[in-house]
Amino acid sequence: MTSEPTAPYEVPSPDETFVEIECCSRTKTGETACGDDFRSVRIADEGRHIAVLSDGLGSGIKASLLSNMTTTMALEFVRRNMEIVQSAEIIMDTLPVCEYRKISYATFTVFDLLPGGLTRVVEMDNPPFIHLRNGHDLKWPADILFSERWPDRKLAISKFRMVQGDRLIAFSDGVTQAGLGSEACKFGWRREGALAYIQKLVDADPLISARELSERVVAEACTKNPQHRCIDDISCLVIYLRKPRRLRLLTGPPFNQEDDRDFAETVLNFDGHTIICGGTTANLVARELGRTISTDLKLIKYCGGLPPPSKLPGIDLVTEGILTLTECVRRLESGEYRDAPLPVSNIITFLLESDVIEFIVGTKVNEAHQDPRLPVDLEIRRNIIKKMSGILEEKYRKKVIIQYF
Amino acid sequence: MGNGSKLKVEICLGTTCFILGASELQDLAQYLEPELLDRVDIVGRTCLGFCKDRKFDGAPFVRLDERVVIERATVTRVTEKIKAMLKEKDAE
Repeated sequence: MTSEPTAPYEVPSPDETFVEIECCSRTKTGETACGDDFRSVRIADEGRHIAVLSDGLGSGIKASLLSNMTTTMALEFVRRNMEIVQSAEIIMDTLPVCEYRKISYATFTVFDLLPGGLTRVVEMDNPPFIHLRNGHDLKWPADILFSERWPDRKLAISKFRMVQGDRLIAFSDGVTQAGLGSEACKFGWRREGALAYIQKLVDADPLISARELSERVVAEACTKNPQHRCIDDISCLVIYLRKPRRLRLLTGPPFNQEDDRDFAETVLNFDGHTIICGGTTANLVARELGRTISTDLKLIKYCGGLPPPSKLPGIDLVTEGILTLTECVRRLESGEYRDAPLPVSNIITFLLESDVIEFIVGTKVNEAHQDPRLPVDLEIRRNIIKKMSGILEEKYRKKVIIQYF
Repeated sequence: MGNGSKLKVEICLGTTCFILGASELQDLAQYLEPELLDRVDIVGRTCLGFCKDRKFDGAPFVRLDERVVIERATVTRVTEKIKAMLKEKDAE
């Protein structure tokens, strides 16, 4: 079937659980750096996921430095299974001392997810985390540990088991203290307020992604503040154990025409979303499956110089290929995709809302693209997809599978 | 052909055509006089495949009534051809 070396084509079983980890942060109004920091790692061969959220003392660069050092150290110590009190002591010893306050300080919450759902949470002074299952905030007994050298610091350690559908949520005090002193919430939004809001969101959309949930919580916290300003750095970290959301993206016609049928049929009976990037590819699928493509020229004004998306029954999105994908890569790389042209933002939304992304890449070279009269460089499709895969895996923590046709 | 006796104008929006000028052609409707606009049905198309056919000279391509292919299409050339074809139709 393929004339190219094909990546091992593993299909995740439907009962497999995907660990979605997302953190949304907003910087205190007027500051250039965020004093909260988030870091996470997926250790594939151990089946383990670690995520850390830290809030540095104060705000701006100084706080940013404290929280960055804390997340970096905490992540590394936990990953190496170091004793936790000793780890915390090293962090305290290392952080620079604030010249005004004469203390060195950054809070942290560590989520350490082991295979089989076994979970360990280590907290130091952040608002207590939320473990949400079926809309309920499960409370777990915590072991409290003290450092002999830093007696005023205490660590809370909880251990429990998570199941598919569970969520873990942690936030900086910018969330719980949002609106502090205002008439509506004199003591701020507090953990109860944030929890009630989260429960409402999850009730309305039980499958809400970690990405969306974290963004909504932070946005809501901002609205509690006067003039919706951030009076502190505001962060919300969400971990969601879910059935993997799958996306299949087809681009490029197969190298051998006799494979067209097999190629087109990859969109049938697929448990997930399907996208086609490429007009010729879309035509091929339409022809093989006996469906009709339509293009709405009215969408042009939202396309920022790219060809408009088309419609093909049974396919979630159809766009032009090379130009659109090139722009997607550029946007994903820079992280500035919120104001992207319509077809690009459509693709990126699908990519980011998915956990497992399969690229089905036809490797036939489009001869028309080799025309020297073309005023722009047209990348080879395979290179674009390779680059996009790398970014999705490293920067966006996606599982990516590439199959060549 | 759908839309009564309207002249069908298909603008290829494949990558090659798009880069070589179809990005402007897609606004064709804005340049047509109202009486011409009433008599045509302008649609966008995923790659029509002419760019891979040696028979043709160059993108961008526009197709009229599913039979006449305009090569190296510009708004002016397409407009002229539309007028000519409508005249033919009227004469029939």
